[in-house]
Formats: sequence, structure tokens, C-alpha cells
Amino acid sequence: MITVKNVSKEFVSNKKYPGFKGAIKGLFSNEKVSKVAVDNISFHINKGEIVGYIGSNGAGKSTTIKMMTGILTPTNGECLVNGVNPSKQRKINAQNIGVVFGQRTQLWWDLPLSESFTILKEIYNISDQAYQESMTFLNKILDLYSFFDRPVRTLSLGQRMRADLGAALLHNPKVLYLDEPTIGLDLVVKDNIRKAIKEINEKYQTTVILTTHDIEDIEELCSRIIVIDNGKKIYDGSLEKLKDTYGTKRKVSMEIKQLNAFEGIELSETLGVTPDLCSTRLDVEKNTLEVTFDKNKLQVPQVINAVMSIADVQDIQIQETELAEIVKAIYQHNVAK
Amino acid sequence: MNKTLKIYKPFAMNELKRQMAYKASFYLFLVISLFSSFISYFLWMAIYGSTDANTLGGLSQNEMVIYIFMVYVTSSIVTISISEWVSEDVVKGSVAMNLIKPIDYRMSLISRAIGTMIYQFMVPSILVWIGLEVYKVTVLGMDLTHLSNIILYLLSSVMSFLIFVLFDFCFGMIAFFTTYIFGMLMVKDALISFLAGQLIPLSFFPEGIQRIFDFLPFSSMIYTPVMIYLGKYQGSELIFVLSRQVVWVILLYILGDLIWRKVTKRLVVLGG
Amino acid sequence: MIKRYSRLYKVLISQFFKVIMQSKVDFLMGLLGFFLTQILGIVFLYLIFDKIELLNGWSFEQLIFIYGFAQIPRGIDHLLTDNIWLVAWRWVISGDIDRYMLRPMNILFQIISEKLQPDALGEILIGCILVAKSISAGVSHITITNVILFFLSIIAGTIIYTSIKLFFASLAFWVKISGPFVQFAYQMADFAKYPTEIYTKSIGFIITWVIPFAFVAYLPASYFLGVENSLGIGAYIIGVEWIIAIILGIISYNMFQKGLTVYESAGN
Repeated sequence: MITVKNVSKEFVSNKKYPGFKGAIKGLFSNEKVSKVAVDNISFHINKGEIVGYIGSNGAGKSTTIKMMTGILTPTNGECLVNGVNPSKQRKINAQNIGVVFGQRTQLWWDLPLSESFTILKEIYNISDQAYQESMTFLNKILDLYSFFDRPVRTLSLGQRMRADLGAALLHNPKVLYLDEPTIGLDLVVKDNIRKAIKEINEKYQTTVILTTHDIEDIEELCSRIIVIDNGKKIYDGSLEKLKDTYGTKRKVSMEIKQLNAFEGIELSETLGVTPDLCSTRLDVEKNTLEVTFDKNKLQVPQVINAVMSIADVQDIQIQETELAEIVKAIYQHNVAK
Repeated sequence: MNKTLKIYKPFAMNELKRQMAYKASFYLFLVISLFSSFISYFLWMAIYGSTDANTLGGLSQNEMVIYIFMVYVTSSIVTISISEWVSEDVVKGSVAMNLIKPIDYRMSLISRAIGTMIYQFMVPSILVWIGLEVYKVTVLGMDLTHLSNIILYLLSSVMSFLIFVLFDFCFGMIAFFTTYIFGMLMVKDALISFLAGQLIPLSFFPEGIQRIFDFLPFSSMIYTPVMIYLGKYQGSELIFVLSRQVVWVILLYILGDLIWRKVTKRLVVLGG
Repeated sequence: MIKRYSRLYKVLISQFFKVIMQSKVDFLMGLLGFFLTQILGIVFLYLIFDKIELLNGWSFEQLIFIYGFAQIPRGIDHLLTDNIWLVAWRWVISGDIDRYMLRPMNILFQIISEKLQPDALGEILIGCILVAKSISAGVSHITITNVILFFLSIIAGTIIYTSIKLFFASLAFWVKISGPFVQFAYQMADFAKYPTEIYTKSIGFIITWVIPFAFVAYLPASYFLGVENSLGIGAYIIGVEWIIAIILGIISYNMFQKGLTVYESAGN
């Protein structure tokens, strides 16, 4: 459905100088700085997939999305969406895609929502019958009619996002791009939006690409994840594999009565490994000892045995590293390839 | 005094920096702003060329050249439209924010205006002014403007600036009652360009209308300092026009204060 | 295709009228603003003609005709394509062009059709009044040919205005904010309100051949006024005006299209 082949995007801008003197200097200088926002990225997405496209701010997520939607022309490489080159055949591509930018509405600010939909019906050349069908379905999943007559500027953020999603789906696009669709929404609305996305995906086999900073979006929606950092693709695969590959840390917390027995003791020494592979934390109030260790180097029983050799353990909890921590590590550029 | 300066200086400095940020606009606005002066210049040359009279409206052809370009210099340091800032602030809802800060909103606007004034004076105006004096001496064969006239002109211009911004502050209060101030701004600009003598010297109007102008603040905004520069006022008349400016500064200051109190009361009641 | 575009235009414009009708006071103030600005220019001329008989051989009524004739295409352009200003000042740097690029229709059409500038009716109105007033004072002969040429000239003039605006606005794709450039070009139009020969040769050349506002107002106007001048004006001047309009239209539209390919959106 979507093929991205060796795509790069470079931005060139005038150099800016700080401060008041800088402003004067800037008047006379003509220096350029260039920035590679997307660096030789390739991937292929099949029909009906929901793909999470993640990375830190400024990693190049939006730039990639904008190239796939035809807003930006790649400096190098080529995108093909449903067999169409978005920047060369913009209008044909636009008919095939729907886009929601969470930060910015694409509806007509001063007009009632209903009028925005009337205009979109004309723009996408939708027949009366198809329009009716679409609206019935969209109203069912997004409950649009409850605020259909109100000007867009008066809608709450949650309503506006539902409206924007509905507007992007009115012409039943084959591909749906969502750029931070749940940003700033409360939990209930987030949940509704996610359900709607799932339902559309199931009913129409719509391909969905979504960028987000919300881990739950990824966990609930995405079967596949592409991670981008500094413009480069650093991971492409399933959620499970991501956890396997990057989630090397494991945490065991144990409830222990005589916690003072551990004062001054380095558990890594007891286990005979270097300190970076195993660390401990004492929680005096809860009477717990938390051991974080590298699961490739140490086994859970090993750790528990080592602890029990020092004091009695009353309760044990084993925690898998959460996705949030992996993503956090990715965002902080801490992940080795 | 020192403390006041510390509070309001950043407003002026920020404005100065903001203005310099875009270099393209910087150079272009310089040229654009001179367009209408050059159009009037050519138009007036054609007008003087079409008559046998030596003076029109009490000005000779050479004096008219000085009039046109000194109107430019004066306007660029006097007519700084703070009402536009007020409307921006109202739209953004940041006026209410200003109310909770321990600063006087009007003072902060005037400080910003001073930043703009300094900028506009440094860059286009002083160049045009010097250019004009050079032109006077080399092409028109006139003497340099007398120092006392320059000092009196600057003094009068500072008061013109105060009259303009204090007036414009009152005008800007309209922004609290309508969302679309653009049309109002155009009406204001058009009227001021006419009543203040930017478009044509007020001496071209019939006597009766000129008497009416004497009772309005607008002639004190542009016409007065330019005529002082031309040396058209002497002795008691000079003292009269300068005192008239002082009176307008005081009156508009008080008026602005009264309106602002009304508006803030409303703002507190309605929220904003 | 054309049917689809005109249908959309109708939908958008009728929406726009509803919004205007909700704020009648604003509408009237804008109208008054433009009306007043122009009328004061006429009062200026009136005060001048109190002191002189003819200006460079032109009568008050003739000047009024040129002045008014210049306002009509300017007003029409202003009425129909005012959003181009926003492209120049804001939309490129803010990334607002994005939303037009996501829809399967011509981008320029979408941008223009989203707004009518009702303030411009003030300009058109004053232009018509001045032209009517001067014709009733006998400065021009009304013949069928003249009436047809008059309308043709106004259409071409509007195209020239829009093209110049679009050309300079498109620079925003390279320099981010091109408002000052548009303003620069647009302000040149003020020179065309008066007979070109009052200016120096170089200014006359610029407004005739570089940023050809003289073809929008002064040159066709002098044809209608039946005035001889250095170019030896005849009815053919309207033809030349059309050729210029078409050339400029093609250049500026291509400039805009080229600009879209280097558009960088926002956030970088």
C-alpha cells in the first residue's frame, strides 16, 4: 500500500544569531545552515496495517508524514502511496488519503461543523448516497450529530478531534494518517478515538499510520512500530520484538522484614557480576527491595536465590520492563543499535 | 524614576529587536514608506508647474518640498499605532493578564511605542532628513535649517508623539467593544492623514475650516512641528502653538485615564 | 470539472456571506474605511484645483476619471483574491498551506475561494461613482465600442493586479514572509492614479514595463479620454493590456506552482 524508498529531506535556512547584536549582524549576513530532517528512510506498509511511527520531537516523524501526504517534496528518494507519487500527483493522492493533525484543525473555523462537511462533500466529489452512508457510520462511531450545528471554534478539544477524524474519513480514504491524534485529550475521549480508529480499520481495511507520544495509543492500536531517531530509522517490527530487543532490563521487587540486613551489601558482588548489570533499591516504608538486572546475563531464580541467602523473602513480584521505559530510552537517544 | 525605567525599558528594547528581525522587510519598508512622499513630490511639482503663482497655500515650491519630506520624517516618529497592539492584546486575551501584573498597561504600550520611534528615527527618518538638508543646500540653493528651529522642531515632535499615542490609546479602547478593528483603523488613518496635514498643508483649506481645525488635536500631531521647522511661526504665535500642544498632552492623558478606568471595570465584571 | 469547481465556489461564498451578515457593523466600518481613504484623495485634488486651472494640461474631471478608473480593477482584485495576502504574510511560515495540499483540488482556487473581502466594495463603489461623475461632465464619449472596451480593460486590469500580487506572494515559499514585497509592488499602483508624465522617465518606465500598473489605469484611461500622448494611444492599448495580463498571469501562476514544490510546511 505504501512504499517509502531511500527518502531523505533536507531543510536549508538562513543562519540566525542570538541577541540584539545578532539581530544587527543578521541584517548583513547571508550564511546558510542546512538540516537533514529525514535521512535515507525506507519501509513498506501493507493494506490494513496499523503502524505506529514514533520518535522524539524533531526526530523527523512529521516530516515523513508530510512527504507521504504530498505536502513536502522529498530531497531524495521516492514515496508511493497506493501506486501514486504524492508530490507529483498530489490531487490523485489526496483523493486516496485522509489526514488528521492533532495540533491543528483542517475544518473551517467560523462555520458550523455541518457546513464543513457540506464543503468537504463537494471537494471530494462524494455522491449523495455515499455521503449518507459515510455520515451514518461516522456518527455511529464518533457521535458527530450531538454538536453538528455548532461553529468549529466553539467545540471542545475532544469534540474537535472527533470532528477532524470524521472529516478525514468522509471520503472513505484507503490510507489514514494521524499525527498525534490524542494529544491533550482526556482518558474517555482518548478511548473513544482509539475505538473509532480500530473500527474503521476493521470495517474498511483502512491502512493507518499514526505518530504519537502516548504509549497506550501504541499498545492498543499498533501491530507494528517504526522508530525514527535523528532522521534515521532505528527499528521496524512488532511491539513484542521491540520489547525483546530493547527491554533487556527486568525488575524483581521483594518484600523483606529485616531490610537492614542489606545495608552495605552489593548484590552484584554476591552474584559475581559487574555493578552495571544489577542494581538495588531499598524502600524502608514498604519494606521492599527492588532489584533491576539485565535479563540476558542473569536469570530470575539466580537473583532470588542470592537475596534469600541474605534474608527471608515474604513476597515476590516480577515486572517486565514497560514499553514506556523503552520508548523513553529511545527518546533520550540511549538505545544502542 | 530609575525603577520605572527598569520596568519599562524591556518593552522598548524588545520592540526594537522584533522590528529588526526580518531583514527583507527592513529594507523594503524603508522604500515603501517613501513611495507616497515621492508621489506627492511629483504631483506638487506638476501643480507648481501649472501655475504662475509663486506661493500656494502660503508655501513656495521649495518650501513645499521641505514640507513633504518633513511630514515623512515627523510621521514616522509620531504616528505609531498603539491601538493595533491593543486590539491584538484583546484578541489574544492578554489584557486581563496585564491587569494582574504590577505595571500600567498604557505605560507599557507607550514604552513599546518609544522603541518603535527610536528605531524608525534611527533608520529611515534621520537618513531622509539629512538627505533633505543636503538637497536643500546643493540643489535648491537654500541655507541649512537654523539650529533653533531644529531644537524647537524636536521639542514639538516629542509632544506630537505624546499627543498621538495618548489619542490612539483612547481610540484603541474601541477594540474592547468590537472584534474587527481593521475598518476603524482605516477610517482613523484616513482622517488623521487629512486633519493632521499629512496629505496637504492645512493652509490649503478654506478659512472657516481652518478655524475648526484649531480646536482639534490633529493639527498638533504633524502640521505644527513641520511648520515650526519651516520657521512659519514666530514670537507669540510660536509660544501659542507649543502651549496648545502641552494642553492636548494633558487633556488626552486625563481622558485616557478615565476611559481606561471604565474599561477595566467592565473587564473585571465581564472577564476578558 | 468546471461544474464541480463552480459548485464549490458557490457553497464557500454563500457560507462566507452568512459570516459577514453576522457582523454587519464590521462590514460597514471596513467599507467606510476604504471609501473614505479614496474620497479624501479626491478632496485633495479638489483643493488643488481651487488654485490652478489645469494640471499638466489635465482637467479636474479628467483626473477624476483616471483616479476612479484605477480603483475599479483594484477593488475587484481586492474583493476576490484577498487571501493571497495571507499567503505572503502568514500561511507559508505557519504551515497553513498544508490543509489545501491535502485536498484533491487546485490549491490556488481553494485559497482564493475561501474569502471575499467585502471592504473592497468601498473601492469599487468610489471608482464607479468617480467614473460616472466624470463621464457626466463630458470627458468621454459613450459608444458601444467604448463600453465593451471599458469592461474588457477592467477584466484585464484585474488579472494584472492579481498576477502581480500572486507573483510576489509566491516568493514567500523561498523567503518565508513576502508580505513586504507584495506591499512594495502593490503600493506602486498608487503611482498609476495620476498621469505617468508627471514623474521622471525612469519611474514612468518602471510602472509601464516592469510592474505595469500604467496599463491598468492611466494608459487605457487616456484612450477613453481621447487624449494623445507619447505612446500614441488608440483602441489597441486594450489589446496590449490583455497580452500583458495573460503573460503575467502565466508567469505568476507558474511561480506559485514552483513555490509549492519547495514549500517546507512548519515546524522546522
